[in-house]
Amino acid sequence: MSFQHGFALSRRGFLAGACCAAGASVLTPVSFAAMPGDNRFVTIILRGAMDGLDFVQPYGDPAYAALRPKLGLRPDTGLIDLDGFFGLNPAASALMPLWQAGELSFVHAVSTPYRDQRSHFDGQDMLETGGNGKGERTGWLNRTLAVIPRSNARRAIDINTSMELILSGPNEADSWSSQSNFALAQDEIAFLDRLYAGDPAFAKAMEEAKKTDMSADSLYGDAKRGAGIADMAKLAGGMLREDYRIASFSINGWDTHVGQQGQFRKAVGDLSTAILTLKEALGEDAWKKTAVLAMTEFGRTARENGTNGTDHGTGGLAVLAGGAIPGGKVLGKWPGLSEDKLLDRRDLMPTGDVREVAAAMLYRQFGIEPDTLTAKVFPGLSFDTSSAYLRG
Amino acid sequence: MALPTPTLAAIRYGYGLRPGEEPPRDVEALLGQIEEGASGKPRFPREGIAGRLDTATRVVSLLAAEAKARRAGNPNEDVRKATQGEARRIYRQDAMARLAQAIHSPLGFYERLASFWVDHFSTSVMKSLPMRMIVPLYEAQAIRPNLGGSFIKLLSAAILHPAMLIYLDQDQSVGPDSVAARKNGRGLNENLGRELLELHTLGAGSGYTQEDVRAAALILTGLSVDDRAMQVVYQPRFAEAGPVDLLGRTYRDDEGDGQDHVLMLEDLAANPKTAQHICGKLVRHFIADDAPAEMVEAMVAAWTKSRGDLTEVYRAMLAHPRAWSDPGRKIKQPFEFVVSGFRALDLPEKNFGNLLRDMDDGDEDEGPVQKAMDLAGMAAREDTKKKAGRANALTLGALQRMGQPIWQPPSPAGFADETSVWLTPSQLSERISWSRMVARIFGQKMEPSVFLQAALADAAHPETARVIAQAPNKVHGITMVLASPEFNRR
Repeated sequence: MSFQHGFALSRRGFLAGACCAAGASVLTPVSFAAMPGDNRFVTIILRGAMDGLDFVQPYGDPAYAALRPKLGLRPDTGLIDLDGFFGLNPAASALMPLWQAGELSFVHAVSTPYRDQRSHFDGQDMLETGGNGKGERTGWLNRTLAVIPRSNARRAIDINTSMELILSGPNEADSWSSQSNFALAQDEIAFLDRLYAGDPAFAKAMEEAKKTDMSADSLYGDAKRGAGIADMAKLAGGMLREDYRIASFSINGWDTHVGQQGQFRKAVGDLSTAILTLKEALGEDAWKKTAVLAMTEFGRTARENGTNGTDHGTGGLAVLAGGAIPGGKVLGKWPGLSEDKLLDRRDLMPTGDVREVAAAMLYRQFGIEPDTLTAKVFPGLSFDTSSAYLRG
Repeated sequence: MALPTPTLAAIRYGYGLRPGEEPPRDVEALLGQIEEGASGKPRFPREGIAGRLDTATRVVSLLAAEAKARRAGNPNEDVRKATQGEARRIYRQDAMARLAQAIHSPLGFYERLASFWVDHFSTSVMKSLPMRMIVPLYEAQAIRPNLGGSFIKLLSAAILHPAMLIYLDQDQSVGPDSVAARKNGRGLNENLGRELLELHTLGAGSGYTQEDVRAAALILTGLSVDDRAMQVVYQPRFAEAGPVDLLGRTYRDDEGDGQDHVLMLEDLAANPKTAQHICGKLVRHFIADDAPAEMVEAMVAAWTKSRGDLTEVYRAMLAHPRAWSDPGRKIKQPFEFVVSGFRALDLPEKNFGNLLRDMDDGDEDEGPVQKAMDLAGMAAREDTKKKAGRANALTLGALQRMGQPIWQPPSPAGFADETSVWLTPSQLSERISWSRMVARIFGQKMEPSVFLQAALADAAHPETARVIAQAPNKVHGITMVLASPEFNRR
């Protein structure tokens, strides 16, 4: 297994090198680009309900300053202006080069169909299952694997010690933590295979452990592995640069009920690190073919609460990054922040479905037909090729 | 009622078999553990309850004094660092004591229930520095003595403890029209109100609304924590004046004594949805992810009849035929896995205690002994550090890597309990690595087949016994016992 894998990598490397050195006589760069299954897709789940109004601040909205007397910024107090209406939280300033290069966009006022209860756990379940309500038990990214028309685009990996719901389901996906390491002799592995032969669940986990461990080893060698955000993103980017086409991981720390400024700065810093590390690990060519979607279970209250924080809300923000996205824009239909425009007089009114953003990325990256997306991946979603997220 | 297999009782309802310890013979023996456990004294907090209160209040005053000096322009880095170091050491000692408690206690069912309830009423040492000291106190004070009595008693003890009020920001919450809000612009925080309904009592999706969450938060206003005494206090200045409607009842605080939250907790504890939520959760934890409905119903009936007497609820669970059939449907959580591994290895208490000493010795800021050692030579220092690293990797570090560090749940909902979460490629790889490490360190002289008998008795599959008997080396044989499906399922 490891030999085959290693050989495949070096052969591809050789062809790529030959192409660039010798021109178009063997394989042209165009044929590389058109090679099926070359596009990549990454989801980052921002767990804890990210405050979209703090990340991309609608400073041009007349109601904003009063809702956010302490958290709200203006261009003259440090906010980075994006388009004259929205501005970027300065904690995300490291992402500005991407914005300027057309490799970063935001979608405002989006949400899942989850309403009223505002529970993290149910909200994340719905975000990850991609359903309309309870009952769906598999992850939408896992269901996607079955409908990608070109089979070699299907390898997917979840970077975590345990498989996250978004990639859980009947289709094969790998789960790997950036810290895992599996140093056993061949005979010991063979004995473990026998030990697990009578228990299909253990046998399957063992098979995947062996496979994934070898891919990870070829990337890292003996270098020390960490559990930080940069390590996860580096592992995901490295895997995507090679055989994998879909990756997912999570960033925690967004539940900012108290003292939001400091916590939010840290979490935004983590997301920036993740995106920039992915870009670096993927390399220029693969980054051009990559779409990253960072999303959260719901937004937070439009008003600050009494403890310099915000509480669970509804409408939120999705972040798009990569060379394959419509970049440099704040997308979405802005509902406004005046009291009558808020949901329940407290939350940013959702005007778009975050699943539609995801569907648009899957359509762009893998050519999955809209009918298939709405039937199999996101049941109940209305999505077709006229989607605003496709035009950008 | 006699049990068909004592082995199943030890594995499903305890922390597994331990050589020399008689597994529970019948349901009464399991239930009898509860009273014995509840009246016993856990190994943490290290200084005992009163001693820990002293330590915690001392540390809080030190931090407050330093913060004041800092604001005045005289920061004292040394005080701050020393305090942080002390909190870290205290946490480590208590976390190791929690492991030792589970490993060495003969009351496995009681210990498993303690873990279940600590997770149900999650709090985290990661919230703040003082919480490193208060969360162990919380388990000893609020959870352990009350897990066999009435649910309302356990609920009140857990909610009305400084650890819970701090963890879910109740100490930050004031009524929007309270004196405090008008004076300094503070406001309502819904965190505890929400989790009280969603996690602690009624359950998510059980029909309450955002209005109810807010109402619960309003009724809770006034509850706060006196940091200096580390006690729950009622602050009329923080309280929202009633009346507040919640789930069909109006809370008016007629007495004006701020005891409305007590009525609310009683009402929530008595709500049939709470019984349903908690009985279902117990069955999902002990038996299977897809809880057998008839078992949950029997427990809910016992709950209703006994007005929430938890021992009667456990009795109904254990008396049900399904409690003793279809083993192995659940995967041990990492804490259970590590504890049952140490139990099977029958590591003497003294040796386990030495691991903690190794970790303490590895601290950089240890004092004169350590400084003398540094002078004596770098080699000794290196060795000490290596030993500390090894002791950590075997215990607290292992739990961290497997995703279940002690008293650090990922959210107020606690750790995941589903089988699919704990049986994944990297989880399996972590467990194999740990098994290999303990086999190397403690299992060199053990006979794998003898160890298999000690660890699993009649729960081991014949084919597993065959594979282990043929292992390429003893260490790998011991490793495979611990990594086997039977040892990881319950």
